[in-house]
Amino acid sequence: MNSMEQQFLEAGTLMLAGMVVVFAFLSLLILFITTVLAKLAIKFPDPIAPTTNRSNKNNKKAASGEISPAIVAAISGAVTRYRQQHSQQPSSSQKAKI
Amino acid sequence: MESLNKLWLSTGLANFELGQVIMMLVGCGLLYLAIARNFEPLLLLPMGFGAILTNIPVAGFSEAGGFLSYVYHGGIETGIFPLIIFMGVGAMTDFGALIANPKTLLLGAAAQTGIFATLFGAIALNAIPGIEFTLKDASAIAIIGGADGPTAIFLATKLAPELLGAIAVAAYSYMALVPIIQPPIMRALTTLDERKIEMAQLRPVTKIEKVIFPLGVLMMTIFFLPAATPLVGMFCLGNLMRESGVVDRLSSTAQNELINITTILLGLGVGSKLSAEAFLNVETLGILGLGAVAFSIGTASGVLMAKLMNKVSKVPINPLIGAAGVSAVPMAARVANKVGLEANPHNFLLMHAMGPNVAGVLGSAVAAGILLALVG
Repeated sequence: MNSMEQQFLEAGTLMLAGMVVVFAFLSLLILFITTVLAKLAIKFPDPIAPTTNRSNKNNKKAASGEISPAIVAAISGAVTRYRQQHSQQPSSSQKAKI
Repeated sequence: MESLNKLWLSTGLANFELGQVIMMLVGCGLLYLAIARNFEPLLLLPMGFGAILTNIPVAGFSEAGGFLSYVYHGGIETGIFPLIIFMGVGAMTDFGALIANPKTLLLGAAAQTGIFATLFGAIALNAIPGIEFTLKDASAIAIIGGADGPTAIFLATKLAPELLGAIAVAAYSYMALVPIIQPPIMRALTTLDERKIEMAQLRPVTKIEKVIFPLGVLMMTIFFLPAATPLVGMFCLGNLMRESGVVDRLSSTAQNELINITTILLGLGVGSKLSAEAFLNVETLGILGLGAVAFSIGTASGVLMAKLMNKVSKVPINPLIGAAGVSAVPMAARVANKVGLEANPHNFLLMHAMGPNVAGVLGSAVAAGILLALVG
């Protein structure tokens, strides 16, 4: 019985030490992510995916202040289609989401 | 007549012992769970078959010089197979969700309470006649609460190789039972309003963060817990191969062919430890019981920690994701998502739960390292 008490004591010490180390280790990891990794992310952001030649042509005009009529047409077309779809079948689209 | 007698003595029927028949039935039970119930089939199928092979009389699969004895001594006793599997798991793991929300590491830490609390349970079982667990045995059993198969096998071979069969069966069975064990605990510890909580969208994570992360984890393990470096090191190697993007072939091999080959051999090797004398005793029942307790405590601690974090944090945290802190990737995260969807059909918690889920893998590897350092 005495040895069992001894074992319980050892298990208790192990639990205390174990939980403290696990929390300390993973908290340090949080610190590492929020400091080192976050700084690296700001300093070395992912390169923006290169755009195709076609869109580059459109972007040239956009850069000079104008929006290409092709883009305006595409966006307004998409918006109109979206509105039409949602005004016709609101319930079915909601069901699909669920 | 003599040759006929000799022939009869060389048959399985003449040599069967009751224990072998029972263990073959246990093997068939594992095959049933794998094939008919889809319980962790990747491991339970070879494990069940290994149990049948090792109990064939006369064939001597697990005796010195037998096929399974080579598999066990070469791959499991040395710790090679669990480590290769850990590398494959690293190559499959995306730490993006964890890096985007690093606080979830605390959930992975809290869920390890299951491991350490089970130590007491294992010691308490010594009061039952027929059970005699040392602290090493108790530590090997307790790691079942980490819900991480390779970690459990690695630690069991180091601390209590004679209990490996029962520990591996318990670990993989409970991992398969995650969708049954966890939801009642999660519902009992949370209110409907808490389960409905929607979490803010995660920020995008850059490539450099994902590349540096495994190196940072390895450095910290080297500095603070070198006993955990076999597990964490292989895990980080796999992850670095994945995220660096320069060794796609190696990453693909680690997460496909290599892990598959190793899983077959690991399953067979663990199955070879399912012999009657090692498995058919009261201790196995104790291990199976303790495994369930460890798992439940781990789940509960994760949920309670998430509740606490939700109370003190400015950003809302759904307590359900805490349950994913017990590794069992990705099943535990899927369960959190499913229970969340039951309360709020527009609440998709899967990506949020992946953070604590992979944190749990790291947490259980760290816990295994602590047990190895202090008990091993």
